[in-house]
Amino acid sequence: MTRDADSGDGPSRWQRLRGAYVRWTARWPVLAALVPFVPVVALWALVAEAGVFPRVFFPGPMEVVRSFGRLMYNGMLPAYLEDSVVRLAAGTAVGMAIGIPLGLLVGLSDRAHRLLWPILLFFQAIGDIAWLPILLIWFGFGLTTMTFVIVYTVLFPVVLNTVLGVRSVPLELHRAARSLGASAPRVLWEVVLPGALPNIVTGLRNGLGYGWRALIAAEMIVGTSGIGFLMFDARRAGSVVEIMLGMVVLGILWYVVDSWVLAPIERATGQRWGLVTR
Amino acid sequence: MKSLSISNLAKTYFDPFTGSQVTAIHDISLTIDAGDFVSVVGPSGCGKTTMLNMIAGFLPASGGRIQVDGRSVSGPGPDRGVVFQSFALFPWRTVLDNVAFGPKMRGIPKAKRHEIAREYLALAGLSHAADRYPNELSGGMQQRVGVVRALANEPDVLLMDEPFASVDAQTRMTLQEELTRIWQDRRPTVLFITHDVAEAVFLANRVVVLSKGTVFGDVAVPLERPRAWSRLIEDGDFKALSAQVLQLVRAA
Repeated sequence: MTRDADSGDGPSRWQRLRGAYVRWTARWPVLAALVPFVPVVALWALVAEAGVFPRVFFPGPMEVVRSFGRLMYNGMLPAYLEDSVVRLAAGTAVGMAIGIPLGLLVGLSDRAHRLLWPILLFFQAIGDIAWLPILLIWFGFGLTTMTFVIVYTVLFPVVLNTVLGVRSVPLELHRAARSLGASAPRVLWEVVLPGALPNIVTGLRNGLGYGWRALIAAEMIVGTSGIGFLMFDARRAGSVVEIMLGMVVLGILWYVVDSWVLAPIERATGQRWGLVTR
Repeated sequence: MKSLSISNLAKTYFDPFTGSQVTAIHDISLTIDAGDFVSVVGPSGCGKTTMLNMIAGFLPASGGRIQVDGRSVSGPGPDRGVVFQSFALFPWRTVLDNVAFGPKMRGIPKAKRHEIAREYLALAGLSHAADRYPNELSGGMQQRVGVVRALANEPDVLLMDEPFASVDAQTRMTLQEELTRIWQDRRPTVLFITHDVAEAVFLANRVVVLSKGTVFGDVAVPLERPRAWSRLIEDGDFKALSAQVLQLVRAA
């Protein structure tokens, strides 16, 4: 059977459907992210409805949506969500404010690299949560402990990727800028920073991802509010539906951060300059 | 444009693995008059790129003196423009902003430096590419931008390090012809490093042959300008000069 035979009487129903999908997702990219979840949610609903597990332990999607409505209405979910997001944003800002300059230093100076690189690798290996026991003794259950964990988690991917970025800027670009009259500080601003930017964004992406997970874990252990606390508190009350709601919220929030914040930055920098290929 | 003078230039490296000194450049003395075009050829490892990197100030010299217009220089500076084999364009800047980079470093306001950049882009027939990013251009186009970017900063001397070695043969001939045209128009002082004997003779007023870190031969090229491949490829004088330089390079 040839393609011509198919298209003899216009596009087939399948082709029309595919065409509509491509057009609609081009107009609303969020659709392309949602459609793959249709079978996942359907399967979830099916398993829940079939009664394989007791309903209390395995609620269906509709119960989670109802729980979402209830927690939105009584204001708990918005308040906790805000707490978590603000903590993450503050921790990320501090982590980047320390991480980018440190990465530039280690990336540019051979001496700093020899001295600091092994130390960075050592402390990177001590994962965020591994700090919790000692932090709890030092700072107790509270904001200081949580902030430390997030900053710590965000810091290393940012530093290590910034170093990588700085070192990936070709020597010739430094030389070109110098012989066009740029001073050393201007080379830093005009050559090193933009050259390292795609890697810095990668570091930020990883840092946010790890930081988000670390935050939820920290909130479960030391928190008095936040999404992690919501989930852990729900466990105490035996409310599986709220735990599931917390998990869904985490996933959605990450999608929002990724597609509304990180992806646009990447499109405007490395991809446009041809420094990274898709 | 100013003269360039090198006297008793030397470069030795310390090799930390063998623990001994390695001599890259033994002793080079060379004077290029203001507005002259000199090619430097030599076999691999003769020290021609090391010499250029020292003149550009990218590498410290172990001995000797480099003078531009009678002033001693050390370290990179805008008085010595450089064109690189790898083009070395800034990928995050448009063609226009690449060319305007030198004037920007000199503190020239935006409108004025864009005017300068557009003038120089027009010189190389690149006006249409002003708003493109380097990765959107072919290799030949990128190197045109590289040459123009160096010229737009109005350096005293122009140092070119095998600039056409990584473009295809057809484009290379076009670029060589364009360079001779631009040189005649602007008369910059040019030091052109290459391993291609025909290229060296085609472009220059003088070809210097390097060997083992020292000057081995110096051949004047009294061919008339403007130079075009269509004519010179059959030209007896061009062939004789190329053969003479080739013999020197082979003997080097």
